[in-house]
This record gives sequence, structure tokens and C-alpha cells, in this order.
Amino acid sequence: MQDLLEQITVCIERGKVNGKSPYPPDMRGQDGADELVSKALGAGVPATDILERALIIGMGNVGQKFSENKVFVPDLLMSAKAMTAAMKHLKPFFESGQAKHKGTFILGTVQGDLHDIGKNLVGMVMEGGGWKVVDLGVDVSAEKFLEALKQNPGSVVGLSALLTTTMVNMEKTVKLLKQHDAKATVLVGGAPLTNEFAKKIGADAYSPDPQGALNYLTDRHSRN
Amino acid sequence: MGTLTGIERIHNILKRKPVDRIGLYEHFWGDTHKKWSGEGHLGKDEPFEDHFPFDIQECGALNLVARLDFQPEVIEETDETILARDGNGAVLRRHKLHDTTPEHVDFLVKDRGAWEEHIKPHLTPDPKRINFENYRNVKKRAAERGRFFAWCGINVFELMHPVCGHEYMLMGMAVDPDWVKDMVNTYANLLVDLMEILFGQEGYPDGIWYYEDMGFKGRPFISLDMYREIIQPAHKKTVGYAKDRGLPVIMHSCGMVAPLVPGMIEAGIDCLQVIEVKAGMDLLQLYQDYGDRLSFMGGIDVRVLYSNDRRRIDEELLLKIPVVKNNFGYVLHSDHSIPDQVQYNSYRYFIEKGLELGNY
Repeated sequence: MQDLLEQITVCIERGKVNGKSPYPPDMRGQDGADELVSKALGAGVPATDILERALIIGMGNVGQKFSENKVFVPDLLMSAKAMTAAMKHLKPFFESGQAKHKGTFILGTVQGDLHDIGKNLVGMVMEGGGWKVVDLGVDVSAEKFLEALKQNPGSVVGLSALLTTTMVNMEKTVKLLKQHDAKATVLVGGAPLTNEFAKKIGADAYSPDPQGALNYLTDRHSRN
Repeated sequence: MGTLTGIERIHNILKRKPVDRIGLYEHFWGDTHKKWSGEGHLGKDEPFEDHFPFDIQECGALNLVARLDFQPEVIEETDETILARDGNGAVLRRHKLHDTTPEHVDFLVKDRGAWEEHIKPHLTPDPKRINFENYRNVKKRAAERGRFFAWCGINVFELMHPVCGHEYMLMGMAVDPDWVKDMVNTYANLLVDLMEILFGQEGYPDGIWYYEDMGFKGRPFISLDMYREIIQPAHKKTVGYAKDRGLPVIMHSCGMVAPLVPGMIEAGIDCLQVIEVKAGMDLLQLYQDYGDRLSFMGGIDVRVLYSNDRRRIDEELLLKIPVVKNNFGYVLHSDHSIPDQVQYNSYRYFIEKGLELGNY
């Protein structure tokens, strides 16, 4: 079993989606995450083990390398694609409650801002880290974030902004969310942001990259 | 040394030869002109380059959308945004009330097959793609004002993603690199063919300015190895076209692209612009590493400018200008563009102080 989980971990980390995928070139012709997860479930490996002992580790490895500039966006996208192929097999276990997400992460780009690449990368890494992601898209009003938080109590909220002109909407959103629930955790990220700005607007944390956001939540999760 | 014209100054700066002062140029968000002209600082139609002592005048004159005759098809419109399909088959949502880049909603091209069927056959060097009149007028105006006339062209990285989006383009680099190389090669050839037609009819500019956005916060989209394998051949071709004709080349990229700079130098660029501090670019480090081979434009943190705090503006300028002016290869410019949060008087102070420090 351990061998199978290790193979799945490698597929996620290297972005090997399935047997047909030509990427990565040195794994051409081999089974990918799609086939191996199916095989593992067939062999009776619990879905939770596949998630926690293979998928999350593989995605964490690639996220860490991304943070260290050892791999780049094409690699991260392929890993996310492999993760999606794997998660397709685990979906019934989440629906039945046999497997559980670490929590819910509500994500969106703040009002006035239509950028989505950075947000999408964060969503992929969070999903890969075992979180259920509720992606509200771009140009999301403070009220819409609040509505999503009300629908998903206890969720963490991630706000993205690329434009300096929309940072003011980020502040407005944080205030509204904190007014509703002072304990709500709000993470912020995006090109013009800094730790200082995050503190100033009352956000709980700022991360310069997706893995940083995941690490923050993982640390907090393990403390609770 | 007497006072140089903008043309002389920028020519020398791009070769890191002695000048009277550092260069000056800037980009602005459209909203900034509205605000400053509304406040009476600028005439309603007064161009920034006529108002400030800029050394450069730019002109873009190409339309590289695949289907030239396609009328954008509006899919959905609200008070604030408009969702439309364009001549590349891309469905993009744009904000109507202020400047922003569009949201990528969907793309007709997601793989090699769709590219070969829907886009590539249309990418021919049709003179209808060129606005000859605009080029002629801007060239004449720049010459009259003694400004360095830079013809601007979007280069391959920035031409591909409007067709297939960043995600499909970047995944394509991993899964089907030959497809992306075909797009790169097609656009590079098209650019060169169109430049041949344009310059053959209207004469050469003083220099060429290619626009790419190859980085984002903290890192480039791709590794230096991937840059060298997939993108650099097009940069060598398009930069080489200019250099063979004695035209210096400025390369723009937003985002953190420091790891790609060695590759861009190999491709032959003379100047790197815009050196985005908030993405992690460090003008002083770049100067230290490459100042003997490369000139720079930008690298002044725009967040300092929109603090509208003169003490912070002084600190930023004092930290950087006395260092980067040393090799004569620097043009004063923010690290991206000036948003409307920057007050007119703050910007005016910034250029006055910057040029004072940048005098030789």
C-alpha cells in the first residue's frame, strides 16, 4: 500500500495526470494519478489515507518548490490537473462523509478587479491541501463575500487584489466580514499587498504565494 | 556637456554613453488623465508627453487579432462590465468604469487543433493590420519635438495568451511544447513581416520597444530553461531584426522577471523596463548584476508615489538614482504606471527631484 501511495504522491508532485498524458516526458507511458488512485481504492486503501498520505503530500511538495522558485506555473498547473483527476475518484467519499475536508476556503477577487490567475493558483493549492474551495470568482462585492460566509459558517476567507485601486475594496470587505464575525479568519494576497497593509486593514494574514496561505492555515489547524 | 535632445539622450542611455541627465518617461492609467485634467492641471486633450519633459514618444501601429474583420460579439452587459467574444475567439469581461485588464472567461483555443483551425490561418502579414497614418503622424511629431521615437510591438508571450489564456498557454508549454513553439514562431514571423512592410513604407523609428509580461508576484511564469527553449528563439528573431538595422531595443515586462534577465540579454535587448518593485524586482541588484550590459527604465516604487509623501519620495529617489545613474544607462520611470491616487503635485515633485539627482 505504501508503495502505491508513494507513486500517487510522485504523480501529483510531477503533474502526471494519467497514462495518456505525455507530461512529464520521463514518465511517458506510465500510469498517472487517475489510474493509481482508482487502483488504490480497488485495493481497499481508505480514501482518507489516499488524501492525507499521498495527495496532500504531493501537492504540498510542489507548492513548496513553487515557493522556492524551483518549479514554475506550468508545473503547478499540471500538478493541480493531476490532483483534479485524483479527486474525481474521492468525490463519493466526501459526499458520504467517509472523507472530510480540512475546512472551507471562500475565495475571490475583490470588487473592481477582474484578475484571476493568482486567485486560481491559490484555489488549486488550497484544494490540493485538503480544503474545500468555494470560488466566488472575480469582481466580488463585500456583501457577496459576507453572504458566502453566512452560508458556510466557520469558513476561512481569502481575498485577492492585483490593482492598487481596488485595495480599498479589500479593506471594506475585511471590515464587513469582521463586523459580522470578529473571529472570522481573512487572508489577503495580491501584487500590491504587504504585511503592513494586511495588518492595517485588519486581515489575519498576508501571503506572497499560495503555499504560504496553505501553510498558515495548516499551522493554525494543527494548533486548534 | 550641453543640453541634449530626447533623441540624443535616449540613444546614449541605451548604449550607456555620457549624457547631460538621466532620461525621463512615464506611463499613466487612463483615469489619471481624467482626474488631473478635471483638476485643471492638464488640458482635456493635452498628451502627457507635451506637458512633462519626456524624452520618448511611443507608437503602436499593429492589430494582431486573428480575425481582423470580426465585430466583437457582446454576450452580456451590466452597468459596470461588458462580456464579449473577440476576433481571437476569446470571451473576456472588461470593466466599463475604470482601467483594468480583462477577466479571462473562456477561450476557443485550448490546444493545438483549435489553434491550427481557427487562428493560425488568419495570421498573415496583411497591410490592413497596420495603421500607417498613426505611425507617420507620431513619428513626425516626435521628430519635431526632439523626442526618441519608439515603435512599440507586443511580443510573443503577450500575443499568445489573449488567444488561449495563461492557463492553457502555460500548460501547453508542459504538455505540448511543440504547439506553443509553433505559436511563438508564427507570431515572431508575423511581427517581423509587418515591421518590414511598415518601416519599408514609412521609415525606421529611433528604437523598438517590445512589450511582454512574463512575471507576476515573486516569480516569472516560467523557468529560465523554459524561456530559453520556448520563448527566446522568438526574442532572438524579433530583437535581432531590430539590431541588424541598428535599432536599440527596450523590453518591457511586468512582474518578477529577474531570473529571466540573463536570457533576455542573450536575446540582445539593450534596456529592461519596468522593474516592478512590488512584484519583487530590485533595481539596485539588477544594476549591480547587469549594469555593464543593460540599461534600465523604471524601478521606482509607485506605492511611494501614491503615498503622496514627499519625504518618502525623497528617500526612494536618494536610495536609487545616485547609484543607477553611474553608468549613464537609466531612464526615470515608476515601476509600473501612475494611478489616479498619485496627486499631480506629487508627480511633478517626483520628476523635478529625480531629474535634479539625475543631472551629471
